[in-house]
Amino acid sequence: MKKAVSILVLGAMVLSLTACGGKDAKEEGVQVEQLVSEYGFQWTDTKAPILNEKGAQEISFNVYSSKNASALDYNDMKIMQDLYESTNVNVSWENVSESVYSQQKNLILGNAANRPDAIYHAGMGAGEIIKYAKRNVLLPISDYLEYMPNFSKILEERPDIKSQLINVEDGKIYSLPRIEEMGLLQNPNILFLNKEWAKKAIEAGAVTGVSVADLKDGINLTSSQMEAMLRYFKENDMNGNGDANDERPMNFVYNNWQGNQCDLYGMFGLNDNLEHRIIVDGKVSYTIMDDRFKEATNFIANWVTQGLIDKVSFEQSQDNFLANGKGLEIYGAFYWWESETVVSNPEHYIVCNPLIGPNGDQTVCVSNNPEVSTGEVIIFNDCPNVEVLLAYFDRYYDPEISAQINYGPIGIVYEEEKDEKGMLVQKELPAGMTTDELRLQNAPLGIIYLSDYAWNNVVHMEPRAKLRVERLTAYATPFVPEGVKPCTNLQFSLDELNTLSNYETNLNDYVRTNLIKWLTKGGVSDSEWESFQKDLNGKVNLPEVQKVYQDAYDRYGSK
Amino acid sequence: MKAKKDRLKHLKENYPFLIMLLPAVIVVFLFSYLPIYGILIAFQDFMPGDKIFSDTTIWVGWNNFKRFFTDVQFWPLMKNTFLLCIEGFLIGFPLPILVALMLNALKGRKGAKYLQTIFTAPHFISLVVLVGMLQLFFGRYGLVNNIAANLGAERYSYFLESSAFRPLYILSSNWQDFGWSAVIYIAALSNVDPQQHEAAIMDGASRLQRIRYVDFPAILPMVSVMLIMSIGGLMGVGYEKALLMQTDGNLGVSELIATYVYKRGLTGVPDQAYATAIGLFNSVINVILLIIANKTSKKFSENSLW
Repeated sequence: MKKAVSILVLGAMVLSLTACGGKDAKEEGVQVEQLVSEYGFQWTDTKAPILNEKGAQEISFNVYSSKNASALDYNDMKIMQDLYESTNVNVSWENVSESVYSQQKNLILGNAANRPDAIYHAGMGAGEIIKYAKRNVLLPISDYLEYMPNFSKILEERPDIKSQLINVEDGKIYSLPRIEEMGLLQNPNILFLNKEWAKKAIEAGAVTGVSVADLKDGINLTSSQMEAMLRYFKENDMNGNGDANDERPMNFVYNNWQGNQCDLYGMFGLNDNLEHRIIVDGKVSYTIMDDRFKEATNFIANWVTQGLIDKVSFEQSQDNFLANGKGLEIYGAFYWWESETVVSNPEHYIVCNPLIGPNGDQTVCVSNNPEVSTGEVIIFNDCPNVEVLLAYFDRYYDPEISAQINYGPIGIVYEEEKDEKGMLVQKELPAGMTTDELRLQNAPLGIIYLSDYAWNNVVHMEPRAKLRVERLTAYATPFVPEGVKPCTNLQFSLDELNTLSNYETNLNDYVRTNLIKWLTKGGVSDSEWESFQKDLNGKVNLPEVQKVYQDAYDRYGSK
Repeated sequence: MKAKKDRLKHLKENYPFLIMLLPAVIVVFLFSYLPIYGILIAFQDFMPGDKIFSDTTIWVGWNNFKRFFTDVQFWPLMKNTFLLCIEGFLIGFPLPILVALMLNALKGRKGAKYLQTIFTAPHFISLVVLVGMLQLFFGRYGLVNNIAANLGAERYSYFLESSAFRPLYILSSNWQDFGWSAVIYIAALSNVDPQQHEAAIMDGASRLQRIRYVDFPAILPMVSVMLIMSIGGLMGVGYEKALLMQTDGNLGVSELIATYVYKRGLTGVPDQAYATAIGLFNSVINVILLIIANKTSKKFSENSLW
């Protein structure tokens, strides 16, 4: 590691040596008045060009961005060229692959003499932003809001988004966010059940209290009914291939961001998530400190011991899980985002309501995955003519542009003509391409603002997203108790960040090692649980981490 | 005065060779010595982009080290790294020597060559592929478990059980590298004078005795140099393989100093200074081990690195 860092530092040094003298006087910024008089700079009319012809030729920006493997070079993307046409702002994109970016990110930021003007798809965490802001590397975007009419309107209308962005130390904003609000992320799991198998189980009399007629979307099952059903799946040759042992009754991908085990804890009234951190009535609370967590863990571990939950759920990757669902039917029930990507015959699977636990609890996982990703674009402090660049990026937040940035441009993905309601109309797919392929190739993704307004007035949600929203509104969201909220993007002070970096990794490791041991090895005894609680409060300092989140949340809520 | 003259003369005579050596010296200097100043980061509150020497540098003294020594992970990390390395060393060090001696003793030269190629081949498999193979073979529905299940045994989650991590790691590493490491011993063995063997046969030495009294002493200097070097690198296990094999289930034993440095330095809220401090600490241990090994070797045999 030391070696790697040193080599990086050396590399940065060598690069900076060769790059000296790259900036000549022409690239130095000019005053806004001069921009206006000489280059026709305007920002108030968000449909008109930002610069005149002269500006288009003489002012340019260099933006660094990662792109996914199948995307075109951003310079060749139609939406980028369209944006140039309509704004006269010349942006030259420097694209690298996502993996290269993750390796080079620190190098780019470290190369003070020759940074690009901005980074798109920057993926900056709150901690990085606050530290670089303190070192005057990043541009305080909030000082330039007058040049960004669309973005400032969002901040005005949505104080909740604003408070996710504001730096605690100085109250400024240092990054542009991506906002895609479809309501898909809060509940990342849906429980699917194989209705053909369930029918056989019911007909065989293995499950009581459910009839074959109940087997449709939105079925309510108690944990004991589910247990009986899973046991029947396990003991019989459900898929009829002559092998009674290849059925996997219940499946998920342990600790995956979606399709994970957390919904099972809902049987005991816990709104668990991967961080085990959740807001209940304005208080940051940890599910792992709740005694119901012990009960639930033992209950689930019992299913694992009986083989009702296949142990492979704890070791498989998402790819393995998806691959195994195809072909021969082996999944009795599974948790996932949608059934269509998992199994080859989704019509055999129905959506269940959350399971009803032994004590009558019925709720779901509430995840902390944010729909607003902060840190998507950062701009460097030494960028010349930054007002122009910001006015240009501001166009991305126009709903119609946002839609094209996110799904692909008019003329390739969408028809030139809109429908009678003014919505964008999907073009027919070119032969031999799927929607996803066309989208990934032509849409840069990145900073957008797609929210209720856009879904109702500008662009239709994708059919898959729409189906999922419908399923969630029917079978997941109603089961989230009032007062329970996700603990999403919060902003921390430097001191708080230090506390987090001191304790959080160890806390997570400690919880993770114990939890998987309990779940796969038959549960947790009372004495183990007691010493676990003691360690949480002592050795790994959970209360301090909790306090940091509580303070940050109080700040967030008070704005 | 005379000594100086001699040295000058010596230099003059050898200057073509010295020039030939120059590129290597420059490369080593540039890539191994020059970057050493980067360890200063360990004593700073550092973010990429900060100058290592400037007025704005935030010096924190030994704080990063103190943090590491009081970290709850300190002893588990030390223990995991040490046990993994020492067990790997105990199996991995003698194995190539035995293989080299056996290959050398084979009667058919051609067969020995074939075997050597076969043994060397796995060295060229990349780590990612190797771990992928491990998952295919030892996964819950992999080859090994399928055989076991067909024989009526329970399926066993090699990747979830912490007790399976070290054997899996060490045995696969050795499988990959024993042939490669044996090459150096095979080369040394090929220098053994055939006359010595003939003489030993005349004296009625059995094949085992010939290995014991002719071959082994011939490679002993090589063995002791390799021993010193591998002790020097004992704690220097790489992070890649452990990281690839890491699951929540085996985290308790698979978290090594190297993987911890990676996680603290490059993921989450990155803390490069802290990671550098840990890496430096690890290197210091390695240097100490190397010195001890060298001293010991000097004392008991004629061989040493310096």
